[in-house]
Amino acid sequence: MFGRKASLLLITPALTMMAVLFLFPLASSLASAFWQDAEARWGMGNFWRAWQFYSADILFSLVIVVLATALVAVLAVAIAGYLTLGESRLFVALLGWLYRWPLFIPFVVAAQLMRTFLAKNGMMNTALVELGLLTPFTTQSFLDWRGIVITFVWKQTPFVALLLAGAMAALDRATIEAARNLGAKRLRLLLDVVVPQVMPSLASGLILSFVTMMSVLSVPMMINAENPTMLTVDMAWRINAYGDYGMANALGLIAYAMTGLVAWGYLRQGLKEKSA
Amino acid sequence: MPLRIAKTFWPAVLTLAAALGGASLAEAEETLTVATGGSENMVDYVTDYLGPMFEAQNPGWKVTTVGTGPGDAGSQAILEKLTAQKDRDVWDLDVIVTNQLKTGEMVESGLLQKYRDEIATGPLVTSVSAENALGTDVAGYVMPMFISQTAIAYNPDLVPEPPQTMAGLRDWAAAHKGAFGYNGIKNGMSGVAFATAWIYAFGGDAAVLMTGPYDKAQEAGWTAAFAELKAFNENVTFTPGNAGTLDMLNRGEIAMGPVWVDMFYSWQQDGRLNPNLKIFLPEPGMPGQPYYYAIPAKAAHAEAAKKFIALATSPEVQAEGIVKKFNWYPGIDATHLQGVLDEASWAKLFTDITPEDLAAKAKPFPLGAYFNDLLEDYETKVTN
Repeated sequence: MFGRKASLLLITPALTMMAVLFLFPLASSLASAFWQDAEARWGMGNFWRAWQFYSADILFSLVIVVLATALVAVLAVAIAGYLTLGESRLFVALLGWLYRWPLFIPFVVAAQLMRTFLAKNGMMNTALVELGLLTPFTTQSFLDWRGIVITFVWKQTPFVALLLAGAMAALDRATIEAARNLGAKRLRLLLDVVVPQVMPSLASGLILSFVTMMSVLSVPMMINAENPTMLTVDMAWRINAYGDYGMANALGLIAYAMTGLVAWGYLRQGLKEKSA
Repeated sequence: MPLRIAKTFWPAVLTLAAALGGASLAEAEETLTVATGGSENMVDYVTDYLGPMFEAQNPGWKVTTVGTGPGDAGSQAILEKLTAQKDRDVWDLDVIVTNQLKTGEMVESGLLQKYRDEIATGPLVTSVSAENALGTDVAGYVMPMFISQTAIAYNPDLVPEPPQTMAGLRDWAAAHKGAFGYNGIKNGMSGVAFATAWIYAFGGDAAVLMTGPYDKAQEAGWTAAFAELKAFNENVTFTPGNAGTLDMLNRGEIAMGPVWVDMFYSWQQDGRLNPNLKIFLPEPGMPGQPYYYAIPAKAAHAEAAKKFIALATSPEVQAEGIVKKFNWYPGIDATHLQGVLDEASWAKLFTDITPEDLAAKAKPFPLGAYFNDLLEDYETKVTN
């Protein structure tokens, strides 16, 4: 319909926007990560300093996000599995309606909810004390790494479950029925028949969640006042308190490398499967 | 709140109006832009108290306030804005309120103008901090808005007899795990002040850190002190900020923690804090700091800015606003407040901490170079 030149012309505005608003800032932040302001030369100084200052936080971020991703995987499979294989129509309908709610709540609001819920004298502990399960002296605050994991899992599970439930619904029911006829129990059915078939959806959902969680600033900032903390908090701190864009960008690059590694693993897996 | 939102967008609306056909609206009113670092109470001070007063005295002027947040980060934001405008002929901030460390850096980079000798209230200032900001000569460039002090707040219902020294505090925290709370160094200056007090107490000769000269060898004792602070941190609860420490004290989640004296009294005054809570200064002392009024070198409305600062540092405003309403120690010499301030309001400032305590145990922050090393070491040796 359009000639080659006309097509190029059509995508020019979009390309320009990409170049100006994304590629240029990306390139300049990459460059600044390698620019040592104090000595006015290029080098790995910012990375070395970042490791010296925040090695604990780098590992902490990785552990938190990996743990949260694993929990999200388990819960999302459980929810999507029940929606696909569940026999009680009422419960399936109820779960189907309930599980999506956190999707519509922004991270910062989720963090604020969790702050009132998980604090030492928060809603959760007050309820447990009222039920006689705890005394006011045995309560403890969950506003630390556990709070971050809980918030991340609460917020990201529906997202992955939504992708997964869609993929499961699109499966050929015949395979499920066949396994059922051969006497497979529901858990076996889920893990051996259904999940392997929706692996690509699960993996892409989890990778997107991993990247999202890696980049959230509000949750660790509001929930975890302790050390170590997540990389996003350190980046904000370097910029806000010192105007130290070099080290902040070095930290960003480290976070980028971590997510890049995960994505690479996933792509390699996908290629292997395709060639097999 | 709606008023504040309106004020935030007002300059944008004015610009738009002017751009859309030079409406006379934009010319009828001149806007004095005040940027203030510090906690929420400092923004409130200008928006609710000082700004309206200036507008009433100077018809045709409007005061717009921008709050940039507590700690070094808040003042750094102002520093960066001025640096970004450096090559322009006119800068859009008229009055800035910043902390010592960053104000010193601004004076060194030539971002501020001298004005103190040109305003009537200039001679009323006697404090050392008006001449010297953590080692940088700032004479003439600044007027202290107030002096503020950190102290340890405690809940007498939980701790009837608090330890009176930093060493005592350290041992008490080890014996009562989680009952002492502070905000680290990333979430506001009360935590920074506590880390500084720790180094003053356990890191060697504190006097050199405050008065100089700068010599890296002075920091030899810090390694051991920071190792001890790292162990101490295992026993404490971390709070989310200056206000967070007060919140957790109020809810009984911690029993002791470092706070700003002015915030403490203001919260009690407003009924936001348990009236039983008390404060004290532990041996050998804790740091305090002034916030400065300064005028950027190429401020668009420098004359009005001088007028604004003269008003803000007049004995009446210092008495009524700084001491009575917001519980800060005055920025100008206290003798000038006699006769303007009633005895009761003055005495209230010294309810828990006496003037003798202040004289002996209120310290400045260390010189800029030591201070930066201290913050850096905290991150490399304590939290990592």
